[in-house]
Amino acid sequence: MIAIEVENLTKKYKEKVVVNGINLKINQGELFALLGTNGAGKTTTIKMLSTLILPNDGKVKINGLNVIKDRQEIREILNISPQETAIAPNLSVKENLEFMAGVYQISNKEEKINELIKMFKLDEVLNQKAKILSGGWQRKVSIAISLINDPKILFLDEPTLGLDVIARKELWAVIKHLKGKITIILTTHYMEEAEKLSDRVGIMAKGNLLTVGTSNELIAKTGAENFEDAFVKIATGGEL
Amino acid sequence: MRIINFAKRNFKEIARDPLSLIFAIILPLFLLFVFQQFNIPNESYKLENFTPGMVVFGFSFITLFTAMLISKDRTTSLLIRLGVSPMKSREYILGYMLSIIPIILIQNTLFFLLAIGLGLRFSINIFFAILVSIVIAVLFISIGIIIGSVATEKASSGISSIIVQIVCFTSGMYFPKEMLGKGFGTICEYLPFESCLTILKGVMHNRFQNIQLRNVIVFVIYAVVVFVISVIIFNRKMTSDNK
Repeated sequence: MIAIEVENLTKKYKEKVVVNGINLKINQGELFALLGTNGAGKTTTIKMLSTLILPNDGKVKINGLNVIKDRQEIREILNISPQETAIAPNLSVKENLEFMAGVYQISNKEEKINELIKMFKLDEVLNQKAKILSGGWQRKVSIAISLINDPKILFLDEPTLGLDVIARKELWAVIKHLKGKITIILTTHYMEEAEKLSDRVGIMAKGNLLTVGTSNELIAKTGAENFEDAFVKIATGGEL
Repeated sequence: MRIINFAKRNFKEIARDPLSLIFAIILPLFLLFVFQQFNIPNESYKLENFTPGMVVFGFSFITLFTAMLISKDRTTSLLIRLGVSPMKSREYILGYMLSIIPIILIQNTLFFLLAIGLGLRFSINIFFAILVSIVIAVLFISIGIIIGSVATEKASSGISSIIVQIVCFTSGMYFPKEMLGKGFGTICEYLPFESCLTILKGVMHNRFQNIQLRNVIVFVIYAVVVFVISVIIFNRKMTSDNK
């Protein structure tokens, strides 16, 4: 079943085309990585798919719902973990979870919070203020918060940016655990991350979605030695 | 329910910042106490006039905290997270406003308790003044929403400090507006802060005849216009920040 269906999605700021008529289908339970150089249009695409901004043209359907007409219903079934950790700094980890549970009016609030505490092993930091946590913990909390409403679709924008190798591997384990249960759209600059975690990869450059496929398909298609080289070939049009 | 949930979070964010307590509560209490230790030959410094003056002064810090909170929510991308949630625009604005009311009540209660301790005669009108001050605070919170929506966290504190100074100079809390000449007096009359103080004093002293129609009109126009502008700007920034 298709979770996200995008047709001719376009975003312009004045005369500048930031996303240029992209077409894409993402299956339910799939982990789709959106890659691209800086300014490729990944974040703008994610913002349109997650209802934050409106497209200038094109159609987006999330679980069959129209992103413009059914915006409010869509917001009940998706969530996002933004690039910045986006947590309330003076609230403890538990209070952050409770706050977001209140935002989504979760009926079985305690049960859901306990489930997330267990899943992310948050016990040791539960009563600590979010602002004093390490970068790795903040990211974990950020992703935990984004699961509070049991989203069917989850957007992870650079989830491991700036983290050390151990914190990154820990988060990969969490993302792998979610794989298959939730449709995940991940943006990252780390090729290894995209290759290891995703089912399929889409590569964007200058607002265009250049190609979509599995990492192995893209390596084979470009004749590159590895995925990073394949990405560079596609993103630069073979110039590098 | 979402409004209360958001307001609770905002209240905790503000109340857990020690600077908030120092500026919004301890500084005005300190000024109220210190100025009463000198026999300053100026009506403005009499306890019954200076106490409501400190209430309005304390409100200027409410502008500061509101601005800082919103600008911080923008920089930390918390508003992006909330932007994809089912929360509606009115729930944000009311959530920010409601969170300030307990702070106002704490501020006012402490100011009036200290003033009574220093010799202010207790009357039921003090309660009415506290109630009216909540309405007056809407103006200060709205100014804070505008600043927090357009400025960065650092710039918010700077711009809000200018508001604190404008309140000090134009509200009449430290000296009567006539003292700096007719031109300055006219400016004070067309800015809302002198009207805020006059209304508050009138209610507190049960001398409604001291409140001119001009004071009510100036305050109401500013409060409504600034509130509407704050809603528009906040909503626009919620969208444009996400571009």
